[in-house]
Amino acid sequence: MYASDFAYYRADSVAEVGRLLRKYPGAKLLAGGHSLIPLLKLRLASPSALIDIGRLDTLKGISVTDGGVRIGALTTHAEIAASSDIASRAPALSRAAGVIGDPAVRNRGTIGGNVAHADPASDLPTVLVALEASIVVATGETERTVPAGDFFQGMMTTALGEQDLVTAIEVPAAANGQGQAYEKFSHPASRYAVIGVAATVSLTVSTVSNVAVALGGLVPAATRAGSVERALSGQAPSAGAIAAAAATVSDDLGTDLIGDIYASAEYRRAMAPICVKRALTTALGHAFSQAETAKARSPWWKPSWL
Amino acid sequence: MVEVDSETGAVILKRYVALDDCGPQINPVIVEGQVHGGVVQGIGQALWEEAVYDEGGQLVTGSMLDYALPRADLLPDIEVLSTVTPSPHHPLGVKGIGEAGTIASTVAVYNAVIDALRPLGVTSLRMPLTPQRVWQAIQQAKG
Repeated sequence: MYASDFAYYRADSVAEVGRLLRKYPGAKLLAGGHSLIPLLKLRLASPSALIDIGRLDTLKGISVTDGGVRIGALTTHAEIAASSDIASRAPALSRAAGVIGDPAVRNRGTIGGNVAHADPASDLPTVLVALEASIVVATGETERTVPAGDFFQGMMTTALGEQDLVTAIEVPAAANGQGQAYEKFSHPASRYAVIGVAATVSLTVSTVSNVAVALGGLVPAATRAGSVERALSGQAPSAGAIAAAAATVSDDLGTDLIGDIYASAEYRRAMAPICVKRALTTALGHAFSQAETAKARSPWWKPSWL
Repeated sequence: MVEVDSETGAVILKRYVALDDCGPQINPVIVEGQVHGGVVQGIGQALWEEAVYDEGGQLVTGSMLDYALPRADLLPDIEVLSTVTPSPHHPLGVKGIGEAGTIASTVAVYNAVIDALRPLGVTSLRMPLTPQRVWQAIQQAKG
């Protein structure tokens, strides 16, 4: 189906985006177009105007900051997946960006468009919520920062207002010794996440700490799995402890579970603890290998045979 | 050869070997390509492709977002072997190869999955063998 008629404007600056949004109420912003164009063609969205922000070079690129990385809203998934700065500071984000859709989608789709669209089956919201990232939002000339946990509010619903533009995503760098993982149950056709679980854990001496787990695909908006986090925090790391903590995810799912012709709500409910368990196992494995590397480098640590 | 993830019901293709005989091969590269295409189409029927209709008769797998066609990253390298038995009914001794791979692949993959589930007493399932369907069979078998 063809999209219904719309006017088209190309913005040359962030300020101009603000002006155009004020002038054309109900206009939609066009970045990579990988969520918006399908909606237009299915006529699920019929905005009167599109404002093309694709050439705003100031919104492109990845920069290292004091606390982590700042990713411009128009940075593509492929650029994020290929960035060594992100791989070392936010490995779960690096991995998630690399399993979005397929290469064509990753080369065009942008992180800003992805979070603004807020599809519950999307990969990045889940990771950004677990990593406690922030979304930088511009309204005209003023800028504000919204924690990812507050940004995603429901199915395709965010904290964005009519005149808002996502300009960047700020992701904190992983702490020393922190392990991160993103576990994805991919739909074979759409490549969306039937289930996506992002997890971070730290190991201190012999207990698990700083557990963060976020769920995608299961519930209308990416959400932290508080029960799992509480159940694992302070435990000695073991397969049993992980499985027991993962089983508590049923308390985090609520009653509004997503189900469709490919995977029913009942099936997703059964798969949730399995995906959580796998994400935690991978994250803990990374935390372990970091602890081993740190030990090997430490001048105070000597192997037992010396 | 397949592996079934007993926790999720996901089917993972580990190895696929095709042996066909189209007589003397004029262009072996085309023969191999035809076998690849046919094998993949058959596997699609076994594991992914399904036209689903709702109660109102509306096709709900009408787009590439819902209808799962086989894609390269879901498949192992296909090992293609051939024997050469000339046909007595043709002056060149050749036989058709177009889609020959399709004939065996649906059944081979389906039977491999059923074989993996045999210890649980599962003897048949409806295609395509989606993770949910395989998982349900595993759950029912476990009681």
